Amino acid sequence: MSTPLIILIAVILILVLLYNSLISKKNQVENIFASVDTQLKKRYDLIPNLISSVSKYMEHEKGILEDITKLRAEANKPNISDEQKIALDAKMSSALGSIMIAVENYPDLKANENVMHLQHSLNEVEEQISAARRAYNQAVTDYNNALEQIPTNFMASAMNYSKKDVFAISEIERKNVNVKELFN
Amino acid sequence: MKNKSELTDFYYKKLFGTLQKLEIDRKQLRSRIITIGFFYTFIAVVLFFTLLDKFFNVEMLVFLGFGYFSLGALVYKFLVKDYTHEFKHSIIRPLIHALDKNLKYTPSLHVPQRYFTRSKIFTQAPDKLSGNDYVKGTIDGIPIQFSDIHAQKRHRDSKGRTSYKTMFQGLFVVSEFNKHFHGSTVILPDVAVSTFGDFIGGFLQSKNLSRDQLVKMDSPAFEKEFVVYSSDQVEARYILSHTLMQQLLNYKKRSKHPLFISFTSKNIHLAIEYNKDLFEPSVFHSLLKYKVAMEYIATLHLAIGIVQELKLNQKLWSKQ
Repeated sequence: MSTPLIILIAVILILVLLYNSLISKKNQVENIFASVDTQLKKRYDLIPNLISSVSKYMEHEKGILEDITKLRAEANKPNISDEQKIALDAKMSSALGSIMIAVENYPDLKANENVMHLQHSLNEVEEQISAARRAYNQAVTDYNNALEQIPTNFMASAMNYSKKDVFAISEIERKNVNVKELFN
Repeated sequence: MKNKSELTDFYYKKLFGTLQKLEIDRKQLRSRIITIGFFYTFIAVVLFFTLLDKFFNVEMLVFLGFGYFSLGALVYKFLVKDYTHEFKHSIIRPLIHALDKNLKYTPSLHVPQRYFTRSKIFTQAPDKLSGNDYVKGTIDGIPIQFSDIHAQKRHRDSKGRTSYKTMFQGLFVVSEFNKHFHGSTVILPDVAVSTFGDFIGGFLQSKNLSRDQLVKMDSPAFEKEFVVYSSDQVEARYILSHTLMQQLLNYKKRSKHPLFISFTSKNIHLAIEYNKDLFEPSVFHSLLKYKVAMEYIATLHLAIGIVQELKLNQKLWSKQ
């Protein structure tokens, strides 16, 4: 075999490997986003039930409850982009967080079994969402690294890949959760 | 559950009478072992020189050496049998019961092999599994069991001789985990990165074909100590919350030995590598020595402490 031919085969082989590694990173991101999405849907499904249980009691938080309903409606629209989903999730997390804190001010609500059940289900879903977010962020970091690092960056710009956003992990989430406190 | 210093108190106060009695036995046993050992070695040396005159080759030497050690071990085991039995019943058992009355102690058994295999901590099944000091029961309503385990793999050399090589020797703990999961997640000491550095080590880890997918965790301290493989990227992070990662790091620090962890079949499995048989009575050092006592106390406390230390008794809603 002549030397130029060997070089040509080697170059093609390297290009194929680079291409495949980028594709697998992109698919990993999409794959994990699908599980984030499933968990987010689970949470959105809990919301109508939550709103109907607490709205009778919560006079001062009407505004937040309306916001939550609006956010949910927006999230349920077809064809929203991943970036929009990420933004909606952040808003939803903070709104739900403030409702959960507000529940503490209503002794009737706190003792309500339905609300308690919802609260626990929400906690469980939040844990799942948090895990999915962390997995997504790692996949995106791997993907974004490949987009910037040599030699995959040349291939990525040829393939027209662009950087993706990560979920912002809030400080509260980073803090160690005290499960005991949650259940008392 | 008693803490370590309360347990030390218990050892020196409540068990003091028994310890003193055992101490007399130990001293007698020690002098007996030394006398027998001396004569045994003397005979072996005489035998060696007699044989040396007649026929000498390397194989003979190896055979004699092997025979000397295996027969010696057998004799030793026979000599300490009663003393060991007494020690386990009157010292180890009360110590375990002082930690929790619900725990059942069987000195001759070990954690069943199926638990060891299903943990997936080791990719190969052992050919020989032995162990002793089996403890089983519940702590705060959480099932737990542990024992000494010695897992060995058979090797055959080019001449067809078989030998057994240790895969793992140490403490093996199984307990119920407080979250639901379906896949398997294995956490191993990070040997590749600490030996070859981030770049090559990380590359080697991601190419480990005998394991599931590599999971990179978002805690630098945890990543430095451990490497995580899992069948599910999301589930691995659901199990390994930031809190649990911190708790496992603390646990690793306390155990001072290589720590292997896995989450399979609803349970958490911990393998702590000591490379020796645990809970065996000390023959050549006094049982009243602080260092000797602490080894029994610390090891027991470490195994039984996982329920509280890893908060396995605080269940999430879905598991209540």
